[in-house]
Amino acid sequence: MFKKILFATSATNACDHAARVAFDMAQRYNAHIDVFHVIGVPTRGFSQVVVDLTTGEQVVLDDNYRDLVKEEIRAYYDHQIQKKTDYAIEVAIGEAHREILRLARHTQPDMIVMGGSTGAAGAYASRRNITGSTFQRVAKAAHCPVMVINRPAGSFWGGFSNIVFGTDFSEAADAAFEFSFNLAKTFDCEFHILHALDITGCQINAFQSQDDIDDRIRKAHQQIRFRYVRKMEGFKNFSAEVWEGIPFVEIVKYAREKHADLIVMAHHTRKDGDSEDAIGSIVEQVILRANCPVISINRSIAK
Amino acid sequence: MTKKILIIEDDAAVADYLQTFFEDNGYTAFTAISAQGGYELAKKEQPDLITLDIELPDEWGPRFYRKLTADKALKNIPVIVISGLSGNKYAVTKAVASLSKPFDRDELLKIVKETIG
Repeated sequence: MFKKILFATSATNACDHAARVAFDMAQRYNAHIDVFHVIGVPTRGFSQVVVDLTTGEQVVLDDNYRDLVKEEIRAYYDHQIQKKTDYAIEVAIGEAHREILRLARHTQPDMIVMGGSTGAAGAYASRRNITGSTFQRVAKAAHCPVMVINRPAGSFWGGFSNIVFGTDFSEAADAAFEFSFNLAKTFDCEFHILHALDITGCQINAFQSQDDIDDRIRKAHQQIRFRYVRKMEGFKNFSAEVWEGIPFVEIVKYAREKHADLIVMAHHTRKDGDSEDAIGSIVEQVILRANCPVISINRSIAK
Repeated sequence: MTKKILIIEDDAAVADYLQTFFEDNGYTAFTAISAQGGYELAKKEQPDLITLDIELPDEWGPRFYRKLTADKALKNIPVIVISGLSGNKYAVTKAVASLSKPFDRDELLKIVKETIG
């Protein structure tokens, strides 16, 4: 299921957690891993003078410089590259998200693995979608699942065995279900379906009666049975829950309670034509906070 | 009866140090160098406390903890995480404490005494 992994990295400690999972996954599942680094952005169109994204310096890009960067990346990941690791190191210049998507179109990986935010936290993180603009852009347009590991705690990994699938019953969530259920079947995992019922209206005094909440919970359970459980013929190792509260908090709590080693969610679940900021804020908050890797699936994978 | 501590640690020097340290302070200590070995020893000895490294040769510490808590007989054994990895204090949420290597032995002893006496 994972024969080709594209690991997009800045080759700095911001991506160390993602590297740990990406290389572990490559070894565990005998996958080829492309370690991909975007050196920088040309100072002007087609210029060979590039602003190095890591150092901020202007450099003249020639083959020697490319080889030097590749060798630095190889040395940086030396302790993670095992004898049996089937890997290649690729570098490019340009906008990071565009180059990652370009390579992904070319190599057709089964998964893109990325690091998350480089330090967004607290109130700022709660107001803004800041998992990292490169992630946002890649995740919106990628034609394969995108895995993000934001916290170090999410990188103490060890393979797929316990998967939480968070759903809002959208079309993209159906695609996320197909992917996550396939994963659960293939790797004989525990599979947990969660719908987090949004009752945050009470924070602005829009209280719902408990009967209303219980009705919504009951309907959500029906939806789970109708949309997912009936497609899981013969698969017994699963649970399905509806938890009311703040959706991203409930998903992170549920994953922690289940000791999940993966959360799968859809993002960009709204219909086409949404604006740039329409990427799902819930999945972004889950990515920022989860104690395990998070895979996001977009609508294009559903098509 | 002396309290039992299970040390799960793959670094022989650290494991040896911890074992001697606990024994010197009146505890009975056992060492396992892998998660699987630790699980088997936990089943056999029913320790009062476990110290757990995060990066073990056969398994990550959080996954060991998941297995431990799935076992009714073992799930309430307090765990102290001792690891050199960044982010270790978030790795096992229900751990009674998380210490980074190199750790302060007085702090460790204080935590052990507060936890199991």
